Amino acid sequence: MSIIENHKTVGTPLSEGAKLSARDVCVYYGEKQAIYNVSLDIRKNEVIALIGPSGCGKSTFLRCLNRMNDTIDICNVTGEILLDGDDIYHPRVDVVPLRATVGMVFQKPNPFPKSIYDNIAYGPRIHGLASSRVDLDEIVEKSLQRAGLWNEVKDRLHAPGTGLSGGQQQRLCIARTIAVDPEVILMDEPCSALDPIATAKIEELIDELRENYTIAIVTHSMQQAARVSQRTAYFHLGQLIEVNATDKVFTTPEHQLTEAYITGRFG
Amino acid sequence: MTDSTMTTRQKVEASMARRRAAETRFRVYGMASVLFGMLCLVVLFGDIFSKGTSAFRQTVLTTEITLDADYLDINASSDERALMNANYEGLIKRHFKTEMSPSGRKERRQLYSMISAGAGWQLQGVVLDDPELIGETITIDLIMDDDVDQWFKHDRDNPESTRLSEKQLSWLNTWVDSGALHTRFNTTFFVNGDSREPELAGIRGAITGTFLTLLVTFLLSFPIGVAAAIYLEEFAPKNRLTEIVEININNLAAVPSITFGLLGLAIFINIFGVSRSTPLVGGLVLTLMTLPTIIISGRAAIKAVPPSIREAALGLGASKMQTVFHHVLPLALPGMLTGTIIGMAQALGETAPLLMIGMIAFVVDVPSFISDPSTVLPVQIFLWSDSPERAFTERTSGAIMVLLGFLIIMNTAAVMLRRRLERRW
Amino acid sequence: MEMNFNQHISGQFNADLEAIRNHMMSMGGLVERQVNNAIQAICNGDTQLADDVIRREDDVDKAEVTIDNECTQILVRRQPAASDLRMVLAVSRVVRDLERIGDEASKIAIHTLEVTDTKNPQFCQQAIRYMGEEVVKMISGALDAFARHDVDGAVEVVRTDKLVDKQYASALRELITYMMEDPRSIGQAINILWILRAVERIGDHARNISEQVIYLVSGADVRHSSLTEIEETAHKDD
Repeated sequence: MSIIENHKTVGTPLSEGAKLSARDVCVYYGEKQAIYNVSLDIRKNEVIALIGPSGCGKSTFLRCLNRMNDTIDICNVTGEILLDGDDIYHPRVDVVPLRATVGMVFQKPNPFPKSIYDNIAYGPRIHGLASSRVDLDEIVEKSLQRAGLWNEVKDRLHAPGTGLSGGQQQRLCIARTIAVDPEVILMDEPCSALDPIATAKIEELIDELRENYTIAIVTHSMQQAARVSQRTAYFHLGQLIEVNATDKVFTTPEHQLTEAYITGRFG
Repeated sequence: MTDSTMTTRQKVEASMARRRAAETRFRVYGMASVLFGMLCLVVLFGDIFSKGTSAFRQTVLTTEITLDADYLDINASSDERALMNANYEGLIKRHFKTEMSPSGRKERRQLYSMISAGAGWQLQGVVLDDPELIGETITIDLIMDDDVDQWFKHDRDNPESTRLSEKQLSWLNTWVDSGALHTRFNTTFFVNGDSREPELAGIRGAITGTFLTLLVTFLLSFPIGVAAAIYLEEFAPKNRLTEIVEININNLAAVPSITFGLLGLAIFINIFGVSRSTPLVGGLVLTLMTLPTIIISGRAAIKAVPPSIREAALGLGASKMQTVFHHVLPLALPGMLTGTIIGMAQALGETAPLLMIGMIAFVVDVPSFISDPSTVLPVQIFLWSDSPERAFTERTSGAIMVLLGFLIIMNTAAVMLRRRLERRW
Repeated sequence: MEMNFNQHISGQFNADLEAIRNHMMSMGGLVERQVNNAIQAICNGDTQLADDVIRREDDVDKAEVTIDNECTQILVRRQPAASDLRMVLAVSRVVRDLERIGDEASKIAIHTLEVTDTKNPQFCQQAIRYMGEEVVKMISGALDAFARHDVDGAVEVVRTDKLVDKQYASALRELITYMMEDPRSIGQAINILWILRAVERIGDHARNISEQVIYLVSGADVRHSSLTEIEETAHKDD
């Protein structure tokens, strides 16, 4: 299969007053191009799912949104990505506060080898969000509550974070991300390493988080995308093929490639 | 279908005998090698121990001696100088002349030569500690000369192999029978510095020198090594220059250590004018030697930190520096410390480079500062092994045992540290 | 919208989908024959044929249960999406309509037996025959449209249903005149009424089937829409 020449994304990729706007984003790994002219708007307080077969560029695109691709030397990003109207790739932009505004949860839960409390407190500490111990305690409690973990760990805040179960660790990572008060949360296959019950808890959590945050989630599970998101974006070989309301994508997709992927005819 | 499975299983069963035989052979070879290695170790340690254990006991003569104030011309209120310069040797000689009644100058000489030349300083030490004792009769264990020491410890059953005369032997046997002559733990070995007289020779100077040298080495090599490892691993751009630096560091780890001694001689001593034979220059040379080890093990420790931790920190908005110092370094530190301890243990036993910078000198005083001339334990061992006196032979082995002890302690510490800290995550 | 007929990665999934489609078609064929026979029976006064229809009603019922079960299995195992999902749902609904058609055919046969038992004249023969032919065509037309994903064919069936409804209305009026002329014929007339109603119902169910065809192909749910609305929806992508 090869890329489609002059492809225009089908559906509703763009919208007014979006939280995050990507325009003509291309990503190159050295000589090899991985993302071809993707333009996509992510609306405030929506959950948008990015789906597609392996290697289609959805994770690469996600990592552009908080400039995590900067850590890879050979990676080159062109195009424009606006957060509330400001280009995040502007040479004078400091990635450090950007990453506090646009947080990320990774595929494999990666709590720091510190206590639960210190895991959550690390972000607020380095960004100076708490002026006293009391403030810090409050932030930690609020984050754990928002992540649905408070009741399970409130008696052992000083136990090591790595001693929790997989699902709890992932919720800890989510709490850690929330603790720096982001506006957008990016999730890169957050449930792929978890059992079904832990997955279900996190999916419910995503629904609750939608109230306060904008969420973009990359997922391999189409059922998960159907369950948690309002809009779904289908990527294929680095191109954004279709973006539509989730129930439309999963009952009457507009593009043939989307249909073929969703019904399991390839991928 | 059933037939073919049975045949396969039968084939497997048939091959089992051959495989088991091969495994048994391998295990036998392994055990044999291990046993051989252990046998060699046993022989080595046996040899050292058999020669060295006696070094930890010294022969003394318990005697009661009166601190005659008139003879010494001092009293409790004399100043320190007078106390120090009093003729304790003469007092001892007079005491024994009275006690054993030698006849003739030859016998007197023989009598006096049995007591160690340092006995006088023993008395001096007692008086300086407590001048009130002047005029009193004290019981003291006088150190005996090395000939007596060797005779008492080894030759009592074959009188032909000693240099002592018959008269001396008769006196000694008298003392032995009365119980005055006996051995005690050889504190002199640990308290004194080097000496021409074997019975007075100790390793304190060498140990202090080793300690100071290692201190300098550690204080220099650990920060530099750790910083270099962090820079090369985390911050250095991946270009040709960095590659060259890396290759050179790896090669330095294999360079013969004496080369560092030459380097130290040429640069630190001749160009920078650092005084030779001091812990400072010794430490500088050993730093050069252990830096590659520390850098290489440090880089390995940093590389072992999983990238997921870094990503998590960066994703939260930590800067590169914060990520390295708050997360990577604490996790890499156990590995770095282990590498450092191993490097230190290596440096502890180094002789060649230190010989080049002059630590071969005969240093008697115990160094108190890094700029004092000193020697180190391996060099001390080397020097003693050169001496023909039998007493030095046993002391050489004794010093080797002390050195081995330190090495074992340091390596055990490295292993325990690694095991304890690595379990954390 | 184009339909994708490429193979699924899972061959078993393909086989499962093929199976429900084929079984549905077989059931459709059976039901078509039932209706045909029932109409023949009433038009020719053939009681044996009527008996036959009544007996075969069981097969129709069993087919509905089996096929519905197969659809459930696919939903459980494969969580189908997009066109596959629409097809499974469409088959499930079509099968229900087919079973109802079978019921109506059986009713026609039962009333046929009652009518031919007496010596009274049989009213509305022509209407019954005419309407009967139309609805049989509708059933086969709808199933055909399903097989060929033919939206136009489906719309045609919906149009035909309107005709059948008109015919029913006029046949009803005819029957009322008969009943008013001769009150003794009311018993007979009522039986004929049931038969006419059953045929009209069959037409409605055939219309439902074609609505499912439009859902299957375009994703638009046109149940309870008017003919104009359906025509619009069907030609939306032209």
